[in-house]
Amino acid sequence: MNLITALARLLIFPGLLFAVPAAWFFLWVERKTVALMQGRVGPPFMQPFFDFVKLTAKSTPPRSGIAGALMRSWPLIALASAAGAVGLLPVLPSSGGFEGDLILLLALLEMPSMCIIAAGFSSRSIFGEIGSAREAALSVSYNIVFLLAIVSIAASQHTFRLEALAALPASPLRLLGIVAIIVCLPAKLHINPFSLPNAEQEIYAGPMTEYAGPELAMWELSHGLEWVAATGLVATLLAPHFGAWWLAALVFVALSFAIVLLLSAVAAATARLAIDTSVRFYWQCTLIFAVLAISSALFMRYRL
Amino acid sequence: MKILSMLWKNLIRGPRTLLFPARPPVTERFRGLVQFDPSLCTGCAVCRFRCTSRAIEFKAGKGEFTWSYNPGQCTFCGRCVEGCAEHALKDGHLEHALSQAEDTPPIYLVQGELKKSYTVARRPPAARPAATAPAQPAATSKPSPTTSGGAQ
Repeated sequence: MNLITALARLLIFPGLLFAVPAAWFFLWVERKTVALMQGRVGPPFMQPFFDFVKLTAKSTPPRSGIAGALMRSWPLIALASAAGAVGLLPVLPSSGGFEGDLILLLALLEMPSMCIIAAGFSSRSIFGEIGSAREAALSVSYNIVFLLAIVSIAASQHTFRLEALAALPASPLRLLGIVAIIVCLPAKLHINPFSLPNAEQEIYAGPMTEYAGPELAMWELSHGLEWVAATGLVATLLAPHFGAWWLAALVFVALSFAIVLLLSAVAAATARLAIDTSVRFYWQCTLIFAVLAISSALFMRYRL
Repeated sequence: MKILSMLWKNLIRGPRTLLFPARPPVTERFRGLVQFDPSLCTGCAVCRFRCTSRAIEFKAGKGEFTWSYNPGQCTFCGRCVEGCAEHALKDGHLEHALSQAEDTPPIYLVQGELKKSYTVARRPPAARPAATAPAQPAATSKPSPTTSGGAQ
């Protein structure tokens, strides 16, 4: 991947120029779908964009010292990581990439979660600390399954290069891994039934409680970019690669949209689980499928 | 699986809420700001007597009276309207922030824009048709009890 390609992917497609409007659109789709399924009107189409503009125009309370600098930097790091993760997605055929970019993508996908944990503890708010503790507990639960699923897909296809993974035809083992990834997405995106870290009826906004103004706007945008990156990862693993770039882009957007709808339906149909139930769900119920997937992948690798 | 059918029904049925600032229409019996017609008022002050929230003030003067109404204290119970024999008071269906008949509620920017006080020249009540007195059966009539009235 040369510099021009890398910049085009990061800044244009599927990077910021596409991902930022897509992030607002996915946030709106999620809120609107849940609202319609609950018999409510839901927000207007431009609401996430209006929220962002409104928040950027507000002032934040002055915070001095290292704690203030940390609180200001966490949303920026999360935003940059999520934008980088979106830019790494191999949406267009023969768009470049490098060996091991899957590992970089996983690290970038994990960074917003780490930033949220750090932000909650930096804010010194009791609600933020509780939210961060919940996010940390949830993170060590779903990430085992998430990483094992990704590694099983990579091991079965003998590569850690995203473009090569996306170009190969989907096998049953890969579909099993994709199902495991989709099971992890509600926890990664903080929606029901795993919306514990930002359980607004219990701990207000969790780690975001002390945030306001442009910093909160950055959090919202990074959350939207997480949606684009996470659903886009599943879409690139699911979609076969087409020759025409516009067809590949269209399939990518359509699949991402379908996954957002699916996750929204799950969010509308379920209630929030307690932290012990959530952890038990991933460690007891889902982990076994991930272990099966990776053991099958390794078995196939050594057999072939 | 019951929850899925519920979600599907909600999707098909459509939303039951409204997007701000749209608001549902009010019912026929909605009671808004009390409307006062000075041309009908005789100054009997029954409305002030019936007003439990003390939203209606009445000041009698020489040859005139002042009727004033404080919407901030009114609970919109409608007892003043019920008690007004001359129908000088009526419920305002549209004249209230909660009436929900318009896109935006009325906003009064200038003090005194919402007229709350009226000074009316006193006049005699309108003549009414004489009511026929009901016939009292003699057999069931009882003598009125005597009142002691005096101090013991």
